[in-house]
Amino acid sequence: MKRSHILSLLLVAALIGSFIATFTSTSRSVNFAEAMEFAGEECKVSGTLNTAFPVEYNPEVDPTKTVFHMFDATGASKRVVLNQPKPTGLENSESIDLYGSVVGEEFHATEMLMKCPSKYNENNHVLMGEDLQAED
Amino acid sequence: MEYIGEWTGIASFGQGLIALAFGASFVSLVAFLCGWKSVGRKAFYVHSISTFATIALIFALFGAHRYEFEYIWKHLNNEMPMRFIFSAFWGGQEGGFLLWMFWHNVLGLVLLRSDSKWHNAVLATVAAIELFLTSMLLGIYFGNFQLGLDPFLLLRDAPSNAGLPWTARADYLTAFPMFQDGQGLNPLLQNYWMTIHPPTLFLGFASTSIPFAYALAGLADRSDSSWMKPALRWSIFGIGILGTGILMGGAWAYEALSFGGFWAWDPVENSSLVPWLTLVAGAHLLLINRNRKKPMALFSTYYFLLISFLLVLYSTFLTKSGILGDTSVHSFVDSGILPQLLVYVLSFVALAHFMLLRLTAWKSAFGAILALLLLVAVKGYVVEAIGVFLLMLVVTSVKAYRSDFERTEEEESIWGREFWMFVGSLLFLVSAAHITWQTSLPVFNQFLEPLSPILAQWGESWNNQMLLDLSKHNLAPGTDLDQTYHLVQVPLAVLIMAVMGLAQWLKYKSTNMKTVAKNLFYATALSVVGTGALIWAYPFDWWELPRVALLFTALFAVFSNADYILRMARGKWKQWGSPVAHVGFGLVIFGAVLSTSQKDIISQNQIGDISTLNEELNNREDLLIMEGDTLSMGPYFVSYRDRYQEGIHVKFRMDYFDKAPHTYQPGDVVFFDGMVFEAKETHEASPQFSDDLEDHWMFIPFPNERQAKTAQLWKAGVPGNRLFTLEPRIQLNEQMGNAPEPDTKHWLHRDLYTHIKWGRVSPPETDEEGWMGGRTHTMQVGDSMLVGHTLMTIDSLRAVADTEKPERGLLQKDLAIAACVSLKNKERDTPHQPLYIVRDSTIIPDLYEAEAYGIKMRIETFDPQAETLEMTVWEHESVRRDFVVMQASIFPLINVLWLGCILMAIGTFMAVWARWKTDTKSRPHG
Repeated sequence: MKRSHILSLLLVAALIGSFIATFTSTSRSVNFAEAMEFAGEECKVSGTLNTAFPVEYNPEVDPTKTVFHMFDATGASKRVVLNQPKPTGLENSESIDLYGSVVGEEFHATEMLMKCPSKYNENNHVLMGEDLQAED
Repeated sequence: MEYIGEWTGIASFGQGLIALAFGASFVSLVAFLCGWKSVGRKAFYVHSISTFATIALIFALFGAHRYEFEYIWKHLNNEMPMRFIFSAFWGGQEGGFLLWMFWHNVLGLVLLRSDSKWHNAVLATVAAIELFLTSMLLGIYFGNFQLGLDPFLLLRDAPSNAGLPWTARADYLTAFPMFQDGQGLNPLLQNYWMTIHPPTLFLGFASTSIPFAYALAGLADRSDSSWMKPALRWSIFGIGILGTGILMGGAWAYEALSFGGFWAWDPVENSSLVPWLTLVAGAHLLLINRNRKKPMALFSTYYFLLISFLLVLYSTFLTKSGILGDTSVHSFVDSGILPQLLVYVLSFVALAHFMLLRLTAWKSAFGAILALLLLVAVKGYVVEAIGVFLLMLVVTSVKAYRSDFERTEEEESIWGREFWMFVGSLLFLVSAAHITWQTSLPVFNQFLEPLSPILAQWGESWNNQMLLDLSKHNLAPGTDLDQTYHLVQVPLAVLIMAVMGLAQWLKYKSTNMKTVAKNLFYATALSVVGTGALIWAYPFDWWELPRVALLFTALFAVFSNADYILRMARGKWKQWGSPVAHVGFGLVIFGAVLSTSQKDIISQNQIGDISTLNEELNNREDLLIMEGDTLSMGPYFVSYRDRYQEGIHVKFRMDYFDKAPHTYQPGDVVFFDGMVFEAKETHEASPQFSDDLEDHWMFIPFPNERQAKTAQLWKAGVPGNRLFTLEPRIQLNEQMGNAPEPDTKHWLHRDLYTHIKWGRVSPPETDEEGWMGGRTHTMQVGDSMLVGHTLMTIDSLRAVADTEKPERGLLQKDLAIAACVSLKNKERDTPHQPLYIVRDSTIIPDLYEAEAYGIKMRIETFDPQAETLEMTVWEHESVRRDFVVMQASIFPLINVLWLGCILMAIGTFMAVWARWKTDTKSRPHG
């Protein structure tokens, strides 16, 4: 067997090995119902802020606890405890991605990404409204 | 209808320029393919001039604040200082493409000056890339298919504004104030790093296309390997520029973003790193083959150079198509050009693999299947067609590898430099493949989707959880970076660093290993000592063994290459390039690993209500600090002095003091961990209480009154001299959301990084009389709570006696409970008695105001059994104290990383220069 063959085999083995080694740490994007099934396991849930509930953040009590409610893709809403100071712009966010797991009836998030409306869309929204008053 | 005040003529002129650039690149491509050199050159000049004119025109529109253009309106506003005009220019996708094209044209013009036999073939590829890039700016619609984004698009013509009433008004520009000012640039991009990082990165991207072009030319004429010399120069140039660009991105993230580091394995960062890795591998294989009669690993040499450029395209696709969606913080949103980007990437992928095949029969088969797949894709089975296409690529590559390249039968010596350079290249490939895999999970999901039913069926019948998981096609990158990246990347880097240190001392063909072993003695000894010192100085855990191994081999690579410069290349400047670059790369890895893994978060959340959260969710990295308070943080005391606004920034002044040791006298009483201790003798406090406990302190199980009154929290030190002030800030941006920006104190051996996680940028909401808060707290007798400056304690509860009732304005039939509340601040300490009144089984709300303290309270409910009550408390704005939630961390030895970057850049340019000198000497027209 030639040395180059051995190297190629090692290469393929290393590639497959590296994929499998990290495959187990890959999380899943799920909705709240599915996250309930895997309670305690890390997963990702995307959705939008449920504005029917206030965003609770009392830094005097705990500076790293933010509580809010979020709708997932199916429309289910759940109470979310985020282990971070309140991210700026949370109230105006367009979409939220949470990384964390379900604990009891709550979703405990360790990390959160959000998309804020680009100003463009926001202004478009304003433009569509009837409150647009020209300075005639 | 005539619109008033629009520069529609300019818009048409600009669109004309782009159309001209597009046409000229096409003519240039055809001419170079047909061998009409002078036509091709002229067309390329026309293309370059129109591209540069387009760029100049857009800058002029920025300068003139022409908000009728969508691109200007989206990326500029009246307030923005003109020094950010560059950042604004490449703030959007159109500008990004133009920047890329700019460099591509500059490089193309340099190549036009050469006169080698590869001239036409190389420039044909460059023109083809330009053709695709220019098409990204055409802005033409074919039904639903959008070809390019027009940078000269008028705001009123933008598809998202179609049909809005204002677009029908001729005077919209003057009638609505919102068209007299633009949207402004994302505050995160208003930064000088954003002025220099993108141009460097895009020059790096553009330079990968030249080795690609040379490799294609080499594939077309396989009998001549002289393309390798210029390709090698350009590859090393690309490594230097792209590497610098990537690390500048890291520096930007570190200085201006607030995620607390310079590298986060973000998909966007990753996708620019991957082409660099493969380009490094490709350049090293070129080095091997450049001077050999009988080639070695020829297929890999071509393949690595080809995929470096293809991966740049893929990176563009990932970041600009919107497919990453929300897995990345800084990817663009979908702008409707996904199909076009996909066509762009796949065309070049197909071209490269087509050229890898040598035999016409295979090439024809490849073309035929490709045409078939195109048909399938047009019918709507896009994902399926691409899936089959990818399989076809694998088959093509294997076939080309096995039979289409010249190969040598004799074995390379295991002690030759070639062998280890080849091994190093393979390691880079594995690293690149793994990062690509992790980054591509959203793309992978797209391929899993059509397979979903089959996978689910197999999963069920074989009872295989992994297949069932896959069938849900919902993979997302994990958030534990140790698991997702470091697990694989660290061991690979260990090997890469070891090979880098070893191979420098090996000779081509074969080496006497005894000499090598002798030569490597100093480097090995020094790295053993260095690693020992690190283990002694920093608290590494046993599971960090791979990390320590990486620090060891990185040191080995650094010392070995430095030693090589000192002993073997002294005075021979031309040989310095590679060892200097290797020292630099070793230092980058060393600095990155050490400063990240030994990052010391010195802010700790000390007052959090942690009991309500589970262990895992326990974030203790952020600290709340009140205005005027001084808290102990690592080796410092930190005080939040005040905040002030400067332009669009709210700055928070954080004073850092050194720690003066605190001396305890006999009889001093302290709390520690909920227990009370009394000092036995005079002593200076150690950093840890446990160190002092045995010798100097006496446990007091039942403190007497004096002890209970005087006991204070144990502290290691007291604030000494003020050392420096950091001013982390929050950038105000009404439209994009406020963005925090860190402030960092730099020393030679470490950085102190401070940023605001949460801070008030505007006064809190109050009612008309200035009261704020109004939160209800559940409290028990004995509980205390801080309201502004005042400590509020519920001492006891008692029933109001009948005799007291008249003076309190109560009726005899009333039931009333008084809470004995003591309020205590620096000036005074007084008792108060808010009431809870029940009259005829109705509760009479009783609002109690302690004017001197600026506090108002009301008891809402009362539970006599548990001795708890619910009380709402208001605070007056006049007594309010400001506070921030901050994070502070120390990055040790991070300057090693930046030093490494600089050395790596210098080394690569020395290598380019040396190659240029020798190549042009041996052949005047390289």
